[in-house]
Amino acid sequence: MVEIRSWQVGIAIVSMMLGLILVFQLRTEWRISTTLPTRQVNELAKIYGSQKMQLEKYKQENEYLHKQLKDYDRDQEIVRLRMATGLVPLRGQGIFITLTNYDKKLDNYEDPNFYIVHYYQLDLLINELWAAGAEAIAVNKNRIINTSGFSCAGTTLLVDAKRLAPPYEISAIGNPANLKKAITLPGGYVEQEILAFNLKFSMETVDRIEIPAYKGAISYEYARAVKERK
Amino acid sequence: MYIPIIGALVGIILGVIIPYDIPINFVKYTAIAILAALDAIFGGIRAQLVQKFIFSKFMSSFFTNTALAALLAFIGDTLGIDIYMGAIVVFCIRIFQNLSLIREEIFDRVKWCHIGSDNQRKDI
Repeated sequence: MVEIRSWQVGIAIVSMMLGLILVFQLRTEWRISTTLPTRQVNELAKIYGSQKMQLEKYKQENEYLHKQLKDYDRDQEIVRLRMATGLVPLRGQGIFITLTNYDKKLDNYEDPNFYIVHYYQLDLLINELWAAGAEAIAVNKNRIINTSGFSCAGTTLLVDAKRLAPPYEISAIGNPANLKKAITLPGGYVEQEILAFNLKFSMETVDRIEIPAYKGAISYEYARAVKERK
Repeated sequence: MYIPIIGALVGIILGVIIPYDIPINFVKYTAIAILAALDAIFGGIRAQLVQKFIFSKFMSSFFTNTALAALLAFIGDTLGIDIYMGAIVVFCIRIFQNLSLIREEIFDRVKWCHIGSDNQRKDI
C-alpha cells in the first residue's frame, strides 16, 4: 500500500477538474464543428436566395430606368420648352387673317374712331384664337408670347412695345377649321367686332404657315422659380 | 504517482457521464480554466520536487488564479476587449517555467543517481 500524500490528492483533484473541463470543451467543440457549418449553410442559402431575388429586382429596375432615360430625351424636352416660350420659329397648318381699317373716305361728321382697328379688337381676336386652340400666333411677324400685351398708340397699336400699323396680318397655327369656326361663330368675333365696324377682314386657310421666333428679351426681375417638392 | 492519473480518468469519465455542453459564449472561460488547471498541476509537481508543497496553498492558488482570470475575461467581455489574453499568456509562461524547473530537477536527480549521492529524493 502506497502512502497517499497530500500533493497527490491535490494534483488529482485539479487533474480531475482538468479532465472534466477538457471533455466538456471537446464535446462543445465537436458540437460546434458538426452543427455550425450546417447552420451556416442554411443561412448562406437563405442569403443567396434573397440576394438573387434582390438582384432580379435591381435588374428590372435598371431596365425600367434605362427605358425611361431613352424616353426622356433631354434635347426633345428642351425643344419643347423653347417652342412653348416662343424662342424657335414654328410652322404648320393654320389660318392667315388680314385685318385693316375701313378705307372709305370719311365725311366730316364721321368719327374716324369707328373705322380703325383698336388694340382691344386685336386682343379679342387673339384671345379668341388662343381659346380655339391655336398653338402659336404672330401679328405682323411678331410672335405673341405669354407675356405679350396690347396697347393703343393713336392710329397704330403697340404689341410688346413694338409699334404695328395696319394692315394687321395675323398668322396662327392650329386646327384651321376650329379656328375659323371660333371666329365666325354667330354672335362671335367677326359679327361683333368686324361687321359692326365695317373693318376689312379676310381669312384663309394655309397648309404651311411660318411663325417667327420671339425677338425680344425675356427677363424675370421679380418672379422666382419655386422649387417643386417631390 | 498513480493517484493524479486516476483523478484525471475520474474527471474524464465524469465529463462523459454528465451531459453538459459549454455555451459558446463561455469558451473563453473554459480556455482559462484549462490553462489554470495545467498551471496548477505543473506548479504542484514542481513544488513537490523542491519539497515545498502545501495542500491548502496549492488549492487556494488554483482557485484564486482561476477566479481572477475569469474576472479578467468577464471584464474584457463587458468592455469588448480581449483582456483574458493576458491571463492566458501568464498561465502559459508559468507552465513553461514550471516545466523547465521540473526538467532541471529531474536532470539533477538523474545525475545524483549516477553519482550515487545520498541527496537523492524519492518523492516522485
